[in-house]
Amino acid sequence: MRPREIRVVERLQPAPDCVELVCEFPEDEGPQSGQFYMLSVGDGRDTYLPRPFSFYRVFSPRRLSFLFRVVGPGTRFLAGLRPRDRLQAMGPLGRGFPLPDGPERAVLVAGGVGVPPLWSLARSLLGLGCEVTALLGARTRSAVLGRPELEALGIQVLTATDDGSMGHRGPVTELLGGIEADGLYACGPEGMLRAVRDIAAARPLPRTYLALEAAMACGYGICLGCAVERAQPDPALGAYGTYARVCREGPVFRWDEVRI
Amino acid sequence: MTVDTQISIGNLRCKNPVWVAAGTFLYGREYGRRLPLEELGAICTKGTSLEPWDGVQGIRIAETPAGMLNAIGLQNWGIDAYLERNVAWLREQNATIVVNIVGKTVDEYAAVAAKLSPRDADAIEVNISCPNVSEGGVFFGTDLRMTEKVVDAVRKATSLPVIVKLAPNTHGLAEFAKAAEAYGADALSVANCIPGMAIDIRRRKAVMGTPAGSGGLSGPAVKPIILKMVWDVTAAVRIPVIGVGGVVSWQDAVEYLMAGASAVQVGSALFRNPNAPWDVAQGLEQFMRDEGVSSIGELIGAARP
Repeated sequence: MRPREIRVVERLQPAPDCVELVCEFPEDEGPQSGQFYMLSVGDGRDTYLPRPFSFYRVFSPRRLSFLFRVVGPGTRFLAGLRPRDRLQAMGPLGRGFPLPDGPERAVLVAGGVGVPPLWSLARSLLGLGCEVTALLGARTRSAVLGRPELEALGIQVLTATDDGSMGHRGPVTELLGGIEADGLYACGPEGMLRAVRDIAAARPLPRTYLALEAAMACGYGICLGCAVERAQPDPALGAYGTYARVCREGPVFRWDEVRI
Repeated sequence: MTVDTQISIGNLRCKNPVWVAAGTFLYGREYGRRLPLEELGAICTKGTSLEPWDGVQGIRIAETPAGMLNAIGLQNWGIDAYLERNVAWLREQNATIVVNIVGKTVDEYAAVAAKLSPRDADAIEVNISCPNVSEGGVFFGTDLRMTEKVVDAVRKATSLPVIVKLAPNTHGLAEFAKAAEAYGADALSVANCIPGMAIDIRRRKAVMGTPAGSGGLSGPAVKPIILKMVWDVTAAVRIPVIGVGGVVSWQDAVEYLMAGASAVQVGSALFRNPNAPWDVAQGLEQFMRDEGVSSIGELIGAARP
């Protein structure tokens, strides 16, 4: 486990404040959907810690992309990278989405910049013969991410915006009301994940999986910084496994595994 | 040119002066493979208490300029879990093991120390300086009388070398260093994270999840501060001092050694590079070759007048 140097080959700007960096890896990569990489930002001095990012699109075994919104010094650095620039990446890390044993009706729910882990998942589910629908939510039309990229896979995409400027007006989870699903896969803000969890509990829909986000320092399990409370203490740890690590036991959890 | 990097801390002999700091490595099992721990001076385990501790609920990590705040709160699985699950593994990796111990009372520190035989640990590091717990931790390390009591109790509970990890946020650090020495410490780790905080200006509240809203600052930002503490403490005591604070590169390690430290601990640098301590150890050895330094002793205190 060592950070490896990767190279930016293309820089796309799918929304005014969002950037997709297509990167070339030194070896063939085969990450699971939902797994992530720790990306270095700058020289690691002023911006001391690497940042966790799910990979987004897969163009070839060595070519993956990362999609992010510019929110702070780390993402500002990444947004400033241009083709041929190099950065360090460590991964793939964590536990991704479990795939169904066979064809199912799969619904993907993304809020804000939550779409990255769902793009490759959609592709894998299609490969298994699943019927895949993606629901994308955002504040406003220009912030809806991933729609053309998901539509290019040939799946149905529905959108919801807070201001009604694209698709349904209201939370993206309201779109779930009219949709039959065997599996539900979600990534987005905490409020959205809670709403998905509540729907999973109410239907019930046991095959519901949530990709969590957390501040973390290491990404490989040693800092204990990304703790999330387990719904049930880990039996292997007796009464004391109160917390799971988002980076290690996650970032994907079944809806009833954690308290969010 | 062969260089001699071996150091001694009390009866503890280490292959080189590059250690891993407590809480930044757990027990190394997350690497998922054999680790060449024999190439490092020692590894300090995660802070270990008598009973398991849950740690802090809420935000535990925040990046700050040239560093980071942590508020883990010493989440650990307790000394019995250490003995059952991790000793054998660490021995298989040929690690020199320093078990970092924590407690809420003096008796708890002593009880953890008493459970460690020479099979389980090569030395004990007494953490009286964690800034993120509401009992024990830094409340012992910032009170001179309590520092004496804890060190005395641990000293009487074990025959292993005792290293006391001092708190950076005291007035008169030298007095604490001398007190630890007087009560039988074999060495001092200088220091722990520096209490600090960050505010989320949108939510108008402290970022970190501790009740006090604070965390411990580590990383390059603290290095000049801790380096001076090492310089000062080295002048105040005769026992070896271990520099802990913002060691990211081998150059940082050389600075600490030249300030008077007998060893350094690589801490949060591990979060950004799992190979950091090995890289530091290799860089240090290369520096010795480049400079024609045959023994590490020549570097220790080399910058002192």
